[in-house]
Amino acid sequence: MAHRFDVFGWFDNEFDADGFRECSVTGFNVHRSVEHYVKLYGVTAVVFLLVGGLFALTVALTRWETVALLEAGDYYRHLSMHAWSMLIFWIIFMEIAILYVGGPMVLGRKLPAKWAAAVGYAVMLLGAILIYYSIWTVSGDPTADNAPLLTAYVPLEINPLFYASAIVFLVGVTLAALPFLLTIWFEKRANPGKTLPLVTFGAFVASMIAVQSILGGLIAFGGALAWQFGYAPWFDAGIYRQWFWIIGHGTQQINLVAMITVWYLFTHVIGGAEVVSEKVSRTAFILYLFFIVMGAAHHLMVDPGLSAGWRIWNTSYAFYGATFASLIHAFTIPAGLEAGRRKRGKGGGLFGWLTSAPWKNPVFSTSIFAIILFGFLGGITGVLMGQLQLNMSWHNTFATVGHFHSTVVLGTTLTFMGVVYFVIRTMFMREFVSPKLATLQPYFYASGMALTALMMMYVGILYGIPRRTNEVVENIPGTDFSIQGAAPLFDVFGVVAVFAIAGGALFVLLAVGSLLFGKRIESGDNDDLVADGGSAEPRSADSRALEARDDLAMAEDPEDPVHAYEMRGTFVLCLIFLAVFVVAYVLNWYLLTQLWSIGA
Amino acid sequence: MTSPIKPPEGNWWDQPVNRRESIWLGLGVGWALVLFGWMSAFTRIGDQNPIGETYRVTSEELRESVDAFKAEAEERDDGAYVPPGDDIYVVGMQFAWDGLPVVLETGREYNFHLGSYDVQHGFSIRPEHAYSQQINLHVTPGKEWIVPMEFDEPGTYHVLCNEFCGEGHEGMHGEIYVED
Repeated sequence: MAHRFDVFGWFDNEFDADGFRECSVTGFNVHRSVEHYVKLYGVTAVVFLLVGGLFALTVALTRWETVALLEAGDYYRHLSMHAWSMLIFWIIFMEIAILYVGGPMVLGRKLPAKWAAAVGYAVMLLGAILIYYSIWTVSGDPTADNAPLLTAYVPLEINPLFYASAIVFLVGVTLAALPFLLTIWFEKRANPGKTLPLVTFGAFVASMIAVQSILGGLIAFGGALAWQFGYAPWFDAGIYRQWFWIIGHGTQQINLVAMITVWYLFTHVIGGAEVVSEKVSRTAFILYLFFIVMGAAHHLMVDPGLSAGWRIWNTSYAFYGATFASLIHAFTIPAGLEAGRRKRGKGGGLFGWLTSAPWKNPVFSTSIFAIILFGFLGGITGVLMGQLQLNMSWHNTFATVGHFHSTVVLGTTLTFMGVVYFVIRTMFMREFVSPKLATLQPYFYASGMALTALMMMYVGILYGIPRRTNEVVENIPGTDFSIQGAAPLFDVFGVVAVFAIAGGALFVLLAVGSLLFGKRIESGDNDDLVADGGSAEPRSADSRALEARDDLAMAEDPEDPVHAYEMRGTFVLCLIFLAVFVVAYVLNWYLLTQLWSIGA
Repeated sequence: MTSPIKPPEGNWWDQPVNRRESIWLGLGVGWALVLFGWMSAFTRIGDQNPIGETYRVTSEELRESVDAFKAEAEERDDGAYVPPGDDIYVVGMQFAWDGLPVVLETGREYNFHLGSYDVQHGFSIRPEHAYSQQINLHVTPGKEWIVPMEFDEPGTYHVLCNEFCGEGHEGMHGEIYVED
């Protein structure tokens, strides 16, 4: 029975007497409490994506100086709104939903401490609204009240309410994560010695990185407040930068681990992938746990007062421990898909496993595009700009913006769009309002965004275009100089950016449209989501609960180990990736050595 | 057991690893060592390193140093300073670079004293004749960072700010004239 406030019928799935139902696609034993909170956090995230997307449009149309939509002061405010909506609110609300899926939903448990999920949600929402308020009411007086952008760098004068609101938001996130952590605690207490499923393990590693990040954020924002009120005059720019980037970069590492976890989940559920080596995949997650927080130092490569040794050690994640972890997943995830599909008889030749994959399914294509584009555009550039010396040609240029649009948008946002599609189909139980457009949207968005990110990198590296400014190509106030040469490329940037934003808008329309007007899915209607058509059977005539499908069960046959199947397609793809990596590395170093000499 | 959503059973740690996967792991370790080794070696053998002594300094002290530099320097008709020695100052403030414009000679190593009087700024420099040759360093108040640079090519080098420093940041610009 739908609750009387549930006017859209979003929370009216049927559960058994204990509050559970079995998902016909994944076979998960889903408790009502888990599903409801996944939906709540997920829908809220999409609202923030919409807000962030509106500001993406105004920001892009300003940087495209042929249009030059906003004045400087408005631009900085809009840029702050865009950054916090996308990078923080959209992504973190989604991540709480993903933690609830990866923990209690995969494990078939109830959501413990439901109050924490509810209070955490309210506090996060309050924090977000206060942050919006403190950004929108900025006067723009450079000596008194500046736009915070993402970073709110001390000692820039920024409304103390902003730092306080950021702390409120972090407290909310901590509360919201509590039910996940308790789930792991209860599960390990109930089943000591039993290994967690890989997806749960990945989500757990993401949550541990979140703990590190939140601690960094509390010190950064708390310290900034203490400095503003005169309690900590020693809390200077350098100290703030280091603590801020523990959270600033750390939150992006949560995204990384969360989306890799989603990739393992979706390639398995939708594509029929299997885990080719639990040992190798889990080791990679452990490497992240130990090393990835050191990535905060990537932002301090060209800062004064830090020794070269400290910078090299940290930026390399101690001999590239975390980069190695990513290289591992770059192999194991496609290899899981290749071996798993070969095992099902779906992979002839070198790439038959890939060409026969369910490319029309947006839940699948979002993850695959994210894997490819994150790796080639985001991952490679991240390592390049994270090298001590190469950072001199990347730091604070528009190329940096291109890098993180490759990681956070092409990687995380694209993956999370797939998660939203998945939640709409399997939890809200709604058909897409237009399955055709839903199929096309990831192609549309991924291609537009990839071109946008490439153009950002191109003008950043080859023209030295700075980030965080509204005027540099057509005119720089107060001088005759401007980087006019980049104007034609900015015209390309403007067009592809608007194209990408239209792809994002299409996503929001499809998601909201499907939730409001999508046809309700009855039992058995979700078979097209299942790997290779599946074979779900209703458990009984009058129940929506379905038996787990035979083909996911294939992954549990110890007599037919997946590691024995061919992985040569993946191997070739990975070699191509490594070759591109090496070429990009050599090119960047070549450009650097063409410069005048610098440094002691 | 090879499902990512089911607990693996038995001794999953000792399951064999596919040969191609093992090769890839080896390549990954090798590449990681190259990345580390080259970055580390380049600090010894390379000509482009963001490395230099840093000193703690107050804004007042820094301003005194810059004023002393300006007093000693010869000032040309176009307002550019010709430094008396090998030390020059480029200090960020809302919204200009103090110590600029300055005239430098090609083939001579100068100590750039980088710093800020107020908030964080981004020292972003490129010659007018080749935008792709650009270098970016971060400056923070409270620190005086001494980074040597030697220019080979004459020309006008433009310094922009590439860290947001308040409304007006977009117009923060200075010039360095490198002459033979």
